[in-house]
Amino acid sequence: MPTAFAYESMDTLFLQRTERSPLLEFDFVGRRLRIEGESYPEDAAAFFGPVLKSLESYLSELSVQRPSSPLRLELRMAYFNSSSAKALMNIFQMLESAARQGVPVEVHWYYDPEDETMQEFGEDFSEDLEYARFNLHELEAQPS
Amino acid sequence: MSMAEDYFRFHQKMVGEGVIFSFVGYLSEGILFSLGEALKQKMRLDATDANVTKRVFAIFVEQVQNIIRYSAERLESDEGRPNELSSGMITVGREEGHFFVVCGNCVLRDEGEALTRRLTALAAMDKDSIKTYYREKLREPAEEGSRGASIGLIEIARRSTRPIEFGLTELSGDRAFFCLKAFI
Repeated sequence: MPTAFAYESMDTLFLQRTERSPLLEFDFVGRRLRIEGESYPEDAAAFFGPVLKSLESYLSELSVQRPSSPLRLELRMAYFNSSSAKALMNIFQMLESAARQGVPVEVHWYYDPEDETMQEFGEDFSEDLEYARFNLHELEAQPS
Repeated sequence: MSMAEDYFRFHQKMVGEGVIFSFVGYLSEGILFSLGEALKQKMRLDATDANVTKRVFAIFVEQVQNIIRYSAERLESDEGRPNELSSGMITVGREEGHFFVVCGNCVLRDEGEALTRRLTALAAMDKDSIKTYYREKLREPAEEGSRGASIGLIEIARRSTRPIEFGLTELSGDRAFFCLKAFI
């Protein structure tokens, strides 16, 4: 498997989309996080581990800063396996706990209206969040 | 019988049982990816409903990853997990208007019995209970040493449109052969 193009600095965490792993772009300064595509990496723990770690330290900084404008997570997933679902749940749990401590958090879950699995996952995850605001959006049809 | 006749019968038997493809032997993550691509392409060409294709693909991925992680017949390199090869079988096919995905591999007998207990509980659940169980497991911290199989099995049961079927047969020593079949 080719290694994903990755870039990490104080400001950004970027992992290019591969055949089996999603695009991941965390703009820490702009407080905008994006995860898009398919996720069934060979080793989900190895893929998501470093991501969860940087998110954790970023969120602990935000909990001190208490920004007034929200942290925004956007997800546009097409498929993920069960180990990736676990990692996504970890991300939501971290965001929920930051939100409980006063960091404004918005989650935006975009799904293809014809994809019943991704719609159902969005609905399920939304029920797990209380302090973080969860928004479900239908993706517009792509012009063919 | 000639070799060609012999293999033709073997081929015809598989086709007759609705097999789209079947793989027996050492599986790796690379093979999972390639077979998965071929499966999606075949189903697209057959104009299969996109949601059905996604269910079949999701079950296929979880089954193959379970073989790779849990087969008792495994070759592991010094470089660790991404290079492991595990022996098993995976078959995707159609019968009576439904797709099926079946996997089989050798396990330690104790592990096989533990698996059977988990699956017996899962097979008895209705759709809503499976969904609730999945969500509970997702919220729990990861089980030590499990590498995620329990949630993978629930995902298989959840995407299957009929109760999952499974079995275990004892082999010599401390081994057993385990198989699991899901229908979509």
